[in-house]
Amino acid sequence: MIAIRACASLTVLLAASVPCALTSAQDVAPHGAKAFAQQQAMLAELKPAAAGTKPHAVDAAFWRVFAPKPDTAAQAALGQRLFFDPQLSQDGTVACATCHDVSRSFTDLRPVSEGIGGKLGRRNAPTVMNAALITPLFWDGRSPTLPHQAGQPVLNPIEMGMPSREATVQKLQKTSDYAQAFQTAFGRALDYTAIEEAIAAFERTLIFLDAPFDRWQAGDKQALAEQQQRGFVLFHGKARCAACHPLNATNPLGTDFRFHNIGVSAHDKNFEKLAADALKALASNSSEQELDRLALATDMSELGRFMVTKQYADVGAFRTPQLRNVSITGPYMHDGSMQTLWDVVDHYNKGGEVNPWLDGGMEALTLTEAEIDDLVAFLASLTDVRFAEQDRAEDKRQSALSKTQRPFRDNDLATRKKLTFEDRVKTPGGK
Amino acid sequence: MFVASKQVVLLTAVAAAILAFNLLPRIASGGTSVQLCDGETRLALDQVPTTPAGGLAVANALMAEWQQKNPGQPWAMGTIQDPQERAKLQKQRYQPKQPFDNRTALGEGQKVGHPYRDFSERDIVLWEAETMRLVYEGAEVFHDAARLGSTIAVSCDMCHPDASNTHPETYPKYQTQIGRPVMLREMINWCIEHPVRGKPLAHDDPRMLAMEAYIYAQRQGVALQFGKH
Amino acid sequence: MKSIETKYMEERESLLRSLHNLDRRSFFKLSAAAGAAAVTHGVAFPHSFQPVRIGNGVESFRIAYISDSHLYERKLNDRFVKALLRAVDDVNRMDPQPDFVLFGGDLAQLGAPAELDLGAQILKNLRAPVRMMVGEHDWYLDLGEKWKGLFGAERYTFDHKGVHFVVLNSVVEEDFWTARKLTPAQRMGTVAGLDNGLQSPFTVGEEQRAWLANDLAKIDPNTPLVVFSHSPLYHYYKRWNFWTDDAEQVQAILEKFKKCTVVHGHTHQLLTHRIGDIHFHGLLSTAWPWPYAPEGLPELTVQMNRPDPFNPNDGCGQGEVHVDVDGLVDKVYRLWNRNPVTVSSEYMKSFGKAQKPGRANTPSY
Repeated sequence: MIAIRACASLTVLLAASVPCALTSAQDVAPHGAKAFAQQQAMLAELKPAAAGTKPHAVDAAFWRVFAPKPDTAAQAALGQRLFFDPQLSQDGTVACATCHDVSRSFTDLRPVSEGIGGKLGRRNAPTVMNAALITPLFWDGRSPTLPHQAGQPVLNPIEMGMPSREATVQKLQKTSDYAQAFQTAFGRALDYTAIEEAIAAFERTLIFLDAPFDRWQAGDKQALAEQQQRGFVLFHGKARCAACHPLNATNPLGTDFRFHNIGVSAHDKNFEKLAADALKALASNSSEQELDRLALATDMSELGRFMVTKQYADVGAFRTPQLRNVSITGPYMHDGSMQTLWDVVDHYNKGGEVNPWLDGGMEALTLTEAEIDDLVAFLASLTDVRFAEQDRAEDKRQSALSKTQRPFRDNDLATRKKLTFEDRVKTPGGK
Repeated sequence: MFVASKQVVLLTAVAAAILAFNLLPRIASGGTSVQLCDGETRLALDQVPTTPAGGLAVANALMAEWQQKNPGQPWAMGTIQDPQERAKLQKQRYQPKQPFDNRTALGEGQKVGHPYRDFSERDIVLWEAETMRLVYEGAEVFHDAARLGSTIAVSCDMCHPDASNTHPETYPKYQTQIGRPVMLREMINWCIEHPVRGKPLAHDDPRMLAMEAYIYAQRQGVALQFGKH
Repeated sequence: MKSIETKYMEERESLLRSLHNLDRRSFFKLSAAAGAAAVTHGVAFPHSFQPVRIGNGVESFRIAYISDSHLYERKLNDRFVKALLRAVDDVNRMDPQPDFVLFGGDLAQLGAPAELDLGAQILKNLRAPVRMMVGEHDWYLDLGEKWKGLFGAERYTFDHKGVHFVVLNSVVEEDFWTARKLTPAQRMGTVAGLDNGLQSPFTVGEEQRAWLANDLAKIDPNTPLVVFSHSPLYHYYKRWNFWTDDAEQVQAILEKFKKCTVVHGHTHQLLTHRIGDIHFHGLLSTAWPWPYAPEGLPELTVQMNRPDPFNPNDGCGQGEVHVDVDGLVDKVYRLWNRNPVTVSSEYMKSFGKAQKPGRANTPSY
């Protein structure tokens, strides 16, 4: 603890470019992350794609949508350096790699993330793996592009807390060799946009689409176990997953990039009141800035996409996340409220959580326990083979946990014995 | 519809009763089992009716039993034996579009030395009648929840009257509900599995082929535009 | 520190008090601006701040509607039951509550007593008073016996806040079943199919037209008139019975009312028409949406986007009828999982030039 604080203050005092070198001997970086040097070593072992090359598993036309210009090696290397540099945070303790930790599946395996000063946010950190193939970014889609997203957490007061773009640029300029690195990589002086683009260039090398599922699709009949193959059939049939989580050759991610209200926010009884308040605020023409503030710092973050588009139909809607590597990137949902994939399937099995904006595609699935197991087993086949060990360990852990608690299960709803909305109608006015 | 006079109904009922009496085992209590010509619907009678009214009552009771098992279904269609009757009824009920007029294939043309290209009125009629037979069969399946295997009494025509909004000319296309490009048949199966809540059909299931025929027939004249959303 | 609700009540009070100070024109400009903002945003006002307009002894008000639920018995089809429950929940949540809820017809799918009982039971959970209207699916099993037993007369009139309301049974069909010797179930099955060529076209019928003319003879033609009908009271597409055969005769009876709105069910889609001074609006179904007919679609209609069958609620919903001081109607379609669509009286009055609802990207048919 003392060493970390010392490191932090040293970083502030010296404004050195050395990222917490004093802690490299220890396993941890601040806020529970693995030490950055160790993370970088792990990254090297994972052999990510070379900068500027289209990853093997991605369709060329699709890749061009996300990466119209190839990145250079210098840009990606610079981006990597920035990714692991806690100087980008106000107190020098938080880097991108804090919440997108290489050793923790490029996320932090926590329900919500922790920023400077130990402040907790409201949203679960998505994994950076394959994020380069997703748009728009964030659970509410407020970032249209990868570079734009990279620059947001730096300025967020509870994440990395830099006061402004200019302050960030100035801070990095104090490290003389950053300025030179940017000149080499981008042919121009260091500015905030270049920081964003560099980080994005690095993230584009983090494509992990080599899973047993892909090998099975390519013809290896043994790549998927019998149970997983049953799960595949369920995924595309009875369990109704494929409509929002399509898996095909051009879009291998398992997301439709759209926003759906599946009722996760409605776990909290106050959700409807929040929505009513937000609609009122909109009706009286609150300024955009005020709504943006409300979106990130208050309970109104539960309203998801609505706070970005201000469209009635988007209340409580969040972007469909990718299913790639889902087994090892729990906890799940925008608020990290679901610990295991069994919880996730239970949630869908009962038709989601009822609320006035619930997507009508959420229906009771009547999946049996065996079918739920099959489905979860299939989802595990979407983990990149480079993480096979973590996958096995995590499956075991989640499976054990799911045997002791299934807080989202509701058999009456799942079997259609009771219908969604029924309870609310019986007590007039709803709850 | 079962178009019949009272006497015919009586005769049929009595005939059915007699037939049943002879072919079916008696019920332990000494009564009789009467069976409808669908082979499934049955009633137990304590005694065979001896009056016209009694016979009619049995017939109506069997009818009611069948109706209960098949809500909203037209009795007549599935069991009218006379093909003329049936065709007349189908024409009236379904009114699919007309197939292409092949009479342009008639006439002189390259007759000499081309035996396989010598068409006559007989051929035209054959092609048309057989094709439309399949189309009408498809129309029947399309309108029949039970035949589709629906567990919630939903048939295709409920959302697609006259096969509207099926857009067969746009296949193959990326079907967002399925997450990949599909042919018409696969979308039919998806609809059977989800909105109709039945079991998907085999791709060569006669019902599937017939329905596809009806759907295409209803879209006669619309240009192919594969991939159109 | 005042709660938001108190703050709003105070704002509303002060607005109402200040109405005395506003001349009529600036008052309408104020509420029109608020209304326009809501229309363009696709955001409605679910909460209590509703400009209540008062002028010439007529008060603006709103009613809700739920229509075309097509219930089977629950054990046979749970999906339609769930959808009706959803509509009831939505209407119950309205704040303030509507003056009354219209049920637009086709409560049952096959007119069975169990289906009608189920529907009646679910609708009992509505907080606001309910006015029932009959549809063909409710009627043709027993020719209305069960319906009348549950809900009373199938046609009636009433007055509410200066508006004269008429509820019709506009699904009267000429007898097509006796000659064919159809059983009641067969008759109902025939009527239940949209695209068979066997049933007769809907009518209001001579007797009911006379009843209507007689009732309306007593009403001042300046009175706003709202007619609830299951069939559309105009000619749209005969093959699907999106049609009322004696429409022109009915329209002739309604003609003298310069503020006449017909609100109809049966078509399960966004539908808008105008004939003379009569405005026609369709109701959404809770059970399933219908595609637009291949011909006969009124020009004023802006189609709803083609529904996604993955979502059984898409293209469905319930909605509202807002009656303004001038006696004309804004029709609100509360489509599930979509932004609400409002077809305003301004749009109707201007023959579709003002306040156009957004165009569909994927029209049907």
